[in-house]
Amino acid sequence: MRRHGNRNLGLIALFLAPALLLFAAFFLYPLGFTLVTSLMRWKGGGGMSPNGLANYAKLLGDSSFRLAMRNNAIWALASGFVQVPLAALVAMILARGPRGWRLLRTIYFLPNVISTVALAMVWVTLYNPQYGAFKALLGLVGLPARHWLGDPSTALAAVILQTVVYIGYYMIILLAAALSIPRELYEAAQIDGASTLVQELRITLPMLRGSLATCVTLAMAYGMRHFESTFLMTGGGPAYSTSTMGIALYLKMDALRYGEASAAGMILILLGTVLVAALRRALGRGDPLAEAAQ
Amino acid sequence: MRKDAMRETMTTGRAAARLAMWAFLGFFLLVSLLPLAWLLVNSLKTNLELEAAPFALPARPSLANYATALATADLPRLFANSVLVAACAVALNLAVASLASFALARESFRGREALHTALTAGVLVPLIAFMVPYFTLMTRAGLYDKLAALVLVYAAINIPVSVFLVSSFMRTVPKELEEAAIIDGCGFAGRFWKVVLPLSRSGLVTAGTFCFIYAWNEFLMAMLLTSSLSARTIQLGIRFFTSQFVTDYTGMFAAIVLSIAPTVLAYAFLHDKIVAGLTAGAVKG
Amino acid sequence: MRTTARSRVLALALLALLALPSLAAAQGKEIVLKWPCIWVGKDSKAPAIAEIVEAFNAANAGKVRVEIEPQPDYNAYEQKVRTALMAGQAPGDIFTLKLNASTKDFYSNKLLMDFSKDLTGAWRASFDAGALAQSTIDKKLKTLPFETAVLPIWYNSAALKAAGVSSVPSTMAEFWPAMDKIKASGIAPMSQMSGDTNAWTSMIWFSHFAVSFGGPDIWAKPFTDKAFVESAKLMKRIFEGYTTPDAVGAGAGVSGGHFLAGRTALFSNGPWYAGRADLRATPFFPSIVIARAPAPGPTKNFMISRLQANVAAGETKDKARRAAIVQFLRFLTSEENVRKLAQSSGAMFAIDSGYVPIDPLQKQFYDIAAASKVTANDLEAALGAEATLEFAQQLGALALGKVTAEEFCALVEKKIDR
Repeated sequence: MRRHGNRNLGLIALFLAPALLLFAAFFLYPLGFTLVTSLMRWKGGGGMSPNGLANYAKLLGDSSFRLAMRNNAIWALASGFVQVPLAALVAMILARGPRGWRLLRTIYFLPNVISTVALAMVWVTLYNPQYGAFKALLGLVGLPARHWLGDPSTALAAVILQTVVYIGYYMIILLAAALSIPRELYEAAQIDGASTLVQELRITLPMLRGSLATCVTLAMAYGMRHFESTFLMTGGGPAYSTSTMGIALYLKMDALRYGEASAAGMILILLGTVLVAALRRALGRGDPLAEAAQ
Repeated sequence: MRKDAMRETMTTGRAAARLAMWAFLGFFLLVSLLPLAWLLVNSLKTNLELEAAPFALPARPSLANYATALATADLPRLFANSVLVAACAVALNLAVASLASFALARESFRGREALHTALTAGVLVPLIAFMVPYFTLMTRAGLYDKLAALVLVYAAINIPVSVFLVSSFMRTVPKELEEAAIIDGCGFAGRFWKVVLPLSRSGLVTAGTFCFIYAWNEFLMAMLLTSSLSARTIQLGIRFFTSQFVTDYTGMFAAIVLSIAPTVLAYAFLHDKIVAGLTAGAVKG
Repeated sequence: MRTTARSRVLALALLALLALPSLAAAQGKEIVLKWPCIWVGKDSKAPAIAEIVEAFNAANAGKVRVEIEPQPDYNAYEQKVRTALMAGQAPGDIFTLKLNASTKDFYSNKLLMDFSKDLTGAWRASFDAGALAQSTIDKKLKTLPFETAVLPIWYNSAALKAAGVSSVPSTMAEFWPAMDKIKASGIAPMSQMSGDTNAWTSMIWFSHFAVSFGGPDIWAKPFTDKAFVESAKLMKRIFEGYTTPDAVGAGAGVSGGHFLAGRTALFSNGPWYAGRADLRATPFFPSIVIARAPAPGPTKNFMISRLQANVAAGETKDKARRAAIVQFLRFLTSEENVRKLAQSSGAMFAIDSGYVPIDPLQKQFYDIAAASKVTANDLEAALGAEATLEFAQQLGALALGKVTAEEFCALVEKKIDR
């Protein structure tokens, strides 16, 4: 009905204007700036000179940056397909209202409130092979400690685990969605003799589809720009094994290679946008308007 | 006989499932509580005790770090600034994002998909790359070293996430409700204000919570865009314990504990109250 | 007609509004100098800096006032200074920089004031000549050398004695047996690390070795030089047998923590570490000996040092303002104030204040600096951030046997910007 020649166009524009204005100032202008400077030789002097695609060539020719790109892909996959499913499982359990679910919901969200600096410090000490808690835990079952963060073969998994177990953000999105599913659906299923598992698979999961798409998109986008906790825990090492594009960007700025930093930023944004667009296409079926447009 | 055995396997099966469920929940309980417990315990220790045995309890628990934290960093003032900044940023962000989300989620127009994707892509922008443009923007606007700069930046940075969340909640509002409202004489704004917005409250609360936590924990932009004490936030206060060469970790932990207390309380009481109110009676089981 | 008249009035009013503040300024108003300053909060120099600024403001009441804007977190402060400069603005009237091979690019920035014509006579003479030479690039002196540091090795001699090592080893022939004895006593001999962006404490060790092998000018040579390869081999041996199991990937906090907790006997860091309260609370504090690393090569009796903080100022065309900045910097770098700073913090300065520390640990730093015939920069100061980052990242690979010493050096060489 409102598909072609929407007569509310003026009002739509009015509603969108404030967001677009802020978006233009805080995203588009900086993006344009990053694009321009990514094509420049720009060091501490303040002056720039055109540099063509040399910054991009230098980055893509550097094996440490290629490793960072690969790591971001792993981050995105782990966030979207490990962290979010875990969050969904927790949300589905809590939505059934087991004893103390409200308290659990609050506690699960707590780590998201604590500063990243503190969380990183805790985990670095947990992982420490000399005095760490994991060493003690493994010792109980007779296993030796490893230097998880110092071994390139385990470091990436270790920093990802530190983030993936904190499911709070996605849990509250999914829990809010799960709690808004009409109760009658479950009552009807119960009368039909459907088990809890069947109810979850047949009712909850399909109803959560849209929210799951939201969470997977958000999580994968965050995986693409991941920076802080890894930087605090390993600085991207050892031997770049935990580096990400965000870390490479920061370190380029730290070395006053602003042109190269901008190029790293552009590559990150470009790859991320392709991913988000692809996810919207693949997961957009939960969106009735997008469905109508197809 | 057979029936009994079946019942038995069913009950043991159910018991095993319950056990698995509680083990699963217990695991997350442990990893969630551990950092906080660790911070709390270590904030009662000295730095040397922390270095020597990071998982041990203090020999003599002491509140000295809390006294230092309150004395060193002018925390109460920074605290008030943070509350102001976070509250204003959330208000501005939700106002702007809910308007845009309504247009994006409930109307169809040309370029809508592209616009939605572009806004969403804002989520993945690495903000460190934008330090120079943000600095230029704020100094040109005459907002450098003013709390307003932080309000604006935090509200703007969170637009992509908020639009993404709020619009996904708005999409779930049944079309029939809107159509009924139109029959009752509701216009464009009326549909937004009277129908869609009230029904997406849990989305707004979620987005608002995220924005608040972001504004409360953000450090880099706060450091970059402010300079004097009158315009600084709590995160800068916490960093007063890290000087160039020496970090007073246990003092910093005390400051962190003090700084997260209000967000935890706000989340536990405010968020839960609101969400519980919205979803009252929705619990299955 | 009417509209032009109105717009003219408006324009006039606007002009008046714009002119007002500058008029007021011209009428001998107080000059306010902003100093975004890192020496605040828990920093050991904070109390003395506050005192100095207060004294200056009192003496110049009504004319010049310096306002400290407290900047917590050093890394974020560096980012802020850089961002402001890159955005075309001085971060303050007075600020500080770490001058090294990366940051010297700032000398081509027009926002920094050039002190070369101001620093003359007795004022110039009070500065260390080597530090001034290092801070002068293309005849411009856009930063004044201020805080300096020597980077020696710290020995916990109580732990050495407990292991049966009676004196600090000065040759490699003494060094390895001593390390073996410490190892046999049940602790890891040395704190080493490959983490953070510069592998700080291990970078210091490497710098000692490289300068010993190749002399103080070694940093000008290609990193594939034998001196670097040999140093890398020594680092590999240390990492493989003589440090803690967490050394690969460890940050400076972990490295220092091991020394503080008595889990290692050797450590490396600058004089600021001496002021830590937790260090002073350790039982072995009185037994700490500050010395050189054992010299594996022909160069001996040298010390590794660096410019730790240079003072910079925002360029201004306003003559009165410029004079006020210079006046304050003269005051800040006066012998009396430097002595005050040195005394309260244990830090070292590029200005000779004649100060001799009373504190025994601090005194050891001053003594070793005075006793060293030659000084040379550390790797980070000499080669800049990119090469240092590669050094840190590949040091981990070297320690784990993923690259050889030769490959390690070739990788770092690639990142050196000459």
